[in-house]
This record gives sequence, C-alpha cells and structure tokens, in this order.
Amino acid sequence: MAFLQMRGITKLYPENNVLANDAVDFEVEKNEIHAVVGENGAGKSTLMKILYGLERADRGAILLEGRPVRIASPLEASRLGIGMVHQHFRLIPEFTIAENVVLGREPRRRGLFLDQEGAVRAVRRVAEEYGFSIDPRLRVAELSVGQMQLVEILKILYRRADLLILDEPTSVLTEQQIRKLFATLRGLRAIGKTVIIITHKLGEVKEISQRVTVMRAGRVVAVRPTAQVDERELSRLMVGKALSLQVRREPLARGPVVLELEKVSLKLKGQDRPLLDGVDLQVHGGEIVGVAGVTGNGLAELEDVVSGLRRVTSGSILHDGVDITRFTSLELRRRGLAYVPADRLHRGSSLQSTVLENMIIASHHRFIRGGVFRRRELEQFAGELTEHYSIEGDPRVPIGTLSGGNIQKVILARELASRSDFILFSEPTWGLDVASSEFIYEKILELRRRGIAVLLLSSNLDEIMSLADTLLVMYRGRVVARLENSGALTKELAGEYMLGLREERR
Amino acid sequence: MKWRSRDSFLAGAAGLAITLGISFLIAILLILLLSKQPLATIYYFFIGPLTNKYYLGNMLNTAVPLTFTGLGIAVAFKSSVFNLGGEGQVYSGALAATVICLALPQANGYLGGLAALAGALAMGAVLAGLSGFFKMKWGTDELISSFLISTAVGFIVNYFITGPLDDPGNNLLASFAIDKRYFLAGLFPPSKLNVSALFALAAAGLVFFLLYYTHPGYEMRMCGLNREFSRYGGINVSAYVVLPMLLSGALHGLAGGLAILGTYHMAVKEFSFGMGWNGIAVSLIARNHPLGVVPAAIFFAYLDAGAKAAMLHSDVTFEIAAIVQSVIFYLVTAQALYNALRYRRRAA
Repeated sequence: MAFLQMRGITKLYPENNVLANDAVDFEVEKNEIHAVVGENGAGKSTLMKILYGLERADRGAILLEGRPVRIASPLEASRLGIGMVHQHFRLIPEFTIAENVVLGREPRRRGLFLDQEGAVRAVRRVAEEYGFSIDPRLRVAELSVGQMQLVEILKILYRRADLLILDEPTSVLTEQQIRKLFATLRGLRAIGKTVIIITHKLGEVKEISQRVTVMRAGRVVAVRPTAQVDERELSRLMVGKALSLQVRREPLARGPVVLELEKVSLKLKGQDRPLLDGVDLQVHGGEIVGVAGVTGNGLAELEDVVSGLRRVTSGSILHDGVDITRFTSLELRRRGLAYVPADRLHRGSSLQSTVLENMIIASHHRFIRGGVFRRRELEQFAGELTEHYSIEGDPRVPIGTLSGGNIQKVILARELASRSDFILFSEPTWGLDVASSEFIYEKILELRRRGIAVLLLSSNLDEIMSLADTLLVMYRGRVVARLENSGALTKELAGEYMLGLREERR
Repeated sequence: MKWRSRDSFLAGAAGLAITLGISFLIAILLILLLSKQPLATIYYFFIGPLTNKYYLGNMLNTAVPLTFTGLGIAVAFKSSVFNLGGEGQVYSGALAATVICLALPQANGYLGGLAALAGALAMGAVLAGLSGFFKMKWGTDELISSFLISTAVGFIVNYFITGPLDDPGNNLLASFAIDKRYFLAGLFPPSKLNVSALFALAAAGLVFFLLYYTHPGYEMRMCGLNREFSRYGGINVSAYVVLPMLLSGALHGLAGGLAILGTYHMAVKEFSFGMGWNGIAVSLIARNHPLGVVPAAIFFAYLDAGAKAAMLHSDVTFEIAAIVQSVIFYLVTAQALYNALRYRRRAA
C-alpha cells in the first residue's frame, strides 16, 4: 500500500472561480523521491499546500500509511511527520542556525528560558545524524543560499519528519549547490525518508526522482516511473495539446519601433548568475511581442526593468528613440507608458482604497484644479470606465471587495485610459476565469488594431501563442529563441525552448 | 467624492457606543468597590464636568490642544509615517510663541499674535520635518529619530524657561508673562475656553479637506496605504515621508503656541506634558479620521475633567481616579485598535 494517498482532492478558489485541483489522485510510495511537475497554475502548489495544512480541500481524503488523516494546519502536518521547505525561505536572519531550527520547539531551562546550549547540542546531534556539516552557532544572515536551504531541511528533520515536501528547491541555487542538495536528498532516501519535490526542470526530474506525477490545469495527466520517460515526453505531457483559444488575429502591417531594449542586464551584488543577461528586444507599433518563460527565468525581472521600478545594471531602454533607462516611474508615467503588472493585488492596486481611487492613481493630475479634485469630472470618469469595461462594483467601494476578474478589469481600464503608444502586460490572465481572460484578450487585440505596441510577458504558452506576433523565449535570464508566430510554430517546440531543452544558435 | 461607504462607518460607530457602555459599567462597578460614597463619586465623575460653566468650559479648553495633536498624529498615520516627537514639538512651539511675544512688546496685538503662532508652527514643523528629511535622505527610522529629537529638545526648552526667560518675580518655574494684548479672547467666562477652540474646529475641517479632497492629500493617503502601488502609479513616494512629518509637526507646534496665547500666558516648566502622547491616543480612538479627532479629544478631556471633579468633591484619591480613567480609556482604545486590525486583515 502506498505511504501517502490523496484521493479525489478538489479545491476551488471562489474569489476568481479557478478550479485549482480537480479530483486529483496522488500517491507516493514509502522511501521514494517523487517529482511533481507542471506549468505555472497547474495545481502543484495547491496540492502540496493542502497536504501541508496550509489550504483546506473542498472534497477529498488524505491517507497516511492507510489511515485517513485530517490536516488542518502545518502544526498537525508536523505532528504527522510531514515537513515542507518553501520556495521562499522562512528563516530569521538575525537568529543563529540553532535558534532557527528549534523555533517553536525550543529546549527550555526551568520551563521558561531558552536553553541556548541545549539548542546547539540538539541541532548538532540532528546534523551529525544526517551527515550535515554545519556550525549551529552561525547566524543565518551569514549563510549562502544553499546553506539556508540546508537549515530549512534541518528544521524539518529536527521535528522528526518522515515525509519532506520541497517546493521548487533548485530555483535559487547554483549548479554546485544543486549537486549538494541532490546528494543530501539521496542520503535522506537511503535512511528511509520519503521526499516530494516540485519542479519545472525536467533534467532534475530525471536525475533525482524514481517516479514523476505530471499535472496540467488542475488534474493529474500522468504518473510514470522516471526511468521510463524522456524529457521530451514529459514536456509534451506538461504543455498538452495547444488549446485553440477563440482569438482571431488579422494580419497587420507593423509600425515603427516604439520600445527597444539593448543588451539589458541585471545582476545582483555577490551573485554570479545575472538575472537578465544581455536581453535585446524591439516592439513595433501594432505588434504584440510575447515573452514566454517558466517562473524564475527572468520574466519578473524584465517586468521590473521595463516598468522602471528596478534599475538595469547595464544596457539601455529606448522609447520612441528617447533613452529612458534612468527615468523614474513618475517620468515614465508622464511619457504615457502603461503597465498591467503581474502582482495585481499589491502593485497593481491598493486593496483598502476605493475603486475610484484605484482608477486615478496614474492620471489624478488630470482632475485637479488649484490643488483640489474636480468631483464631477472624477465621478464621470469612474462611471465611464465602469460602464465601458463592464466592471461589477460601485466605484465607491474598496477594490478589495471585488472579484479577481473585476480587479483586473479596473487595472486594465486605468492603464488603457492613459492613451499611450506602448503598454506592458505581465501575466494578464493569471488566475482568472475563462470569461475574464477572453475579455482581456479582446482588449489586447484591440490595442494592436489601434497601432499600439504591446509587450506581453507570460508563463502561459497558450496565451502567448494565440496573441503574439513575435515570440521570444527566456531561459535563465537570456533570450534563447526569437520565433515568428506563424502556423509552423508548434507548442511542443516553444515548450522545449522554455524548459531549456533546446537553444537557438546565434 | 465619497471615499468610504457609509455602512462601515455606522457599524464602527455602533461598536464604539457598545464599548463605551460596557466601559462605563465597569467604571461604575470599580467606583462602587473603591469609594465610600459611591453615589457622589459617580455623580462627580460622569456629571461633574457638565454641571457648571467653569467646568464645562475648562473641559472643552483641555480638548483644544488634544485636537491639534490628535490631528497631527492622524495626518502622519494616514501616510504611514510615525511621529513620536509630539511632546517636544508642542513644548518647543510654546517656547517659540512665548519668545516672540516677549520680543515684540510694542507690536499690534493681532500681528504679534499671528507672528507668535507662525513661529510656533514653524518650530514644530522643522523639528518633525527633520526626522522626515533624515528618513528620505538616509533611511533613518522616523519613529526613533522624532522621539529622540523631541526628548533632547525638551531639555533645551527647560533650560530657557528656567534660565534666560525665568521671571524672578513669580515663584514658579516659568518664563515672564506675555503681554495682555496677545491674549486670545475668552469665549465662555469664567472658564478658560477661548477662541483657540474655533481654530481647532477649523483645523479639523481643513485637515479633512486636505486629506480627502486635494491632490497632496490623495497622494499622501495612497502612499500610506500602499507604497509600492503609489510608486507604480508615478507618485514621488520619498516626498511623502517629509510632507506628512512637516504637517504633523506644524499642528503640534500650533497646539503649544495656542496654549500659551489662549490659556497659560507664560511658558511654565513642563506645562504641556502629556499633550503629545495623548494626541496619539486621541487619534487612535478617532481611527485617524480628522473629523473623529474632535469628539475623541472632547471625550479624552471629559474623562480627565471627571477624574479631577471626583477628586475634588468626593473621597476618591488620585490613584483611584486614574484607575477608573484608564479602564475606560483602555477599553475604548482596544476597540479602536481591534477595528483597525480587522479592517487591515480583511483587506490583506
């Protein structure tokens, strides 16, 4: 019998009407390293969050060693011997390794005081038991990323977990650090632990796992012994057959270059791998340039750089021939650059503010005479946008009370009102239902008809393939392919570029 | 434009009324336990401040500086900027007003008074603005720097009051008295209530208008609610650390200046103690809404006056009065905090 069984797990996020898990059956054998792969939004993270007690399933059951269990919180998961390493570490940099590891289960003196020595001893004991060489007295702030991850694993082992869940553990690591991590994982397996590893990287699946579960659009589409599949087949399973979205894109003569990036690079201090590595791209008027890539390969950084919220390390950005590399976001707004961000709940809107206040963030100067708002003009503006974009929600209520689709419509309405010749979209339909997505696709195509230059960043290949005229693929911060989106381009081919299985020779 | 839905406001008001009722009940229970003449105590505590013109007027007069400091805190908090230097800003504002009045013995009463208030305003604005400037320039935490500057300034003001400005003619640790021509007109004799109360009402209206109807007000509130969103929208976010601090300091400085011109007529050592800190409490009760600051300040002053009346007329000691006062206050603040937190959680 399988060590862990999840049966018929169903999870609906009502805010945006997305079925994140649709009757998912998932099994892990005792003492195996099991990979879970899928595109962004396939439902991997939701499934793992349910297993770790961070989310609750609407339907379905979890069986551990054949016994049904209820996991309502991470604390209960921890009691059942389930531990998780999150993609973003949850460590306190000012604390030592020992203090971080014992946090929540501290050895105490006289029932009240933290037993520092005891903590160090306990952590050292656990580290030795599993063959980690690490000094528990070091402060976490002084560690490398790889070592921090080790501390996270140590934290789980200290709690005597038998099942370890790792959420994209390699996305922040260098090659050597990945080697070390894999060696650690193999060691854990050798002593009887079970590991679930979520990843996008197919090479790693082949290297580390015994079995692999492939998810797509909230369902499990395949479970295979790793030895019996190759990367191409996995890639095909992950992206699936191209769903033909009902979008018609008429041929159009493209205009002059509106936005241009020349050898744009972004590198953090102390990191050897640049986040963006000499990115060149051009967007013409009336053209949609789609940039595809898996999370962690530079899309988010490209978004920050083009929107002026982050400074490039080298290279330049030109808008209508003017160098805007060093412009602040205020100056970019004055030039009329519009931008629909991926993080629409934090960057794209202010949830406690009203819909109206959200609608005017970039254009409120227009409604002011002598420092004071023109109330009637404001209300008229808000009324027009609400009607034109069929936003369901009164302009006077806080935007946080609206559904995800309606929030995105407010953002879209605001940005399109800026009458610019360029607009940047990042993950415009992420997490939205079909109706809202189609609405947004229509608006994007309308922009193209009006001769506006559109840069579309998305990890959703279907979206890019149905909208973009030109398709760029990013992998590890570099543009690895530049493809004309003609009938000859297949989703499989683009998928192989995205996953780093193929690279254009230049 | 209407920025907030009416329902949530009504729900908040109902909640506050219930909390008030409960806290008054607890206060009455406490008095029954601690006082030998509970009926008299209850009477003086709750009705006392309203029984005659003198008490009523003085109570309202106590609310005046609290309105200014409460507004000062509300402006800062609305912008997510923290000004903990209110004490020093009020005190130094008072000193500035006193010095200007003493330096201009011959001036026209209105002009000299205006100059004194302008000086008080500028003094507070500069002190608080410094913290905002440090934050913008070097990222210094304004919460700490404003507190430290204020504390240091307090000692300097003490030096002036007990040193160069000390009037050997009076037996107080106080400066020379300012000339009568600068006194603000009384409104409600024999109490100390004076026209500064009207200034307080006007200030509340102005701050409300500024925050909700003007360009800088909108940008300040947006920066306060979500800095990243504001930056994305093209607002110069670093400026909105300095501006709210300047405004906050100006309001605190005015509180001090008006207290001198309207009530004290001389700078007495540490006379303004508590005005700054209590402003934070007032703003908290008002949920940082400028129009809520006025009733919140009056409520605070009412509790204060009730405690004093009860001490004067019944067997209640200072400690008991303070306990009863703090119980009521604690519950009301907790309610305000709870509302604020719930609001934040729902939005997150």
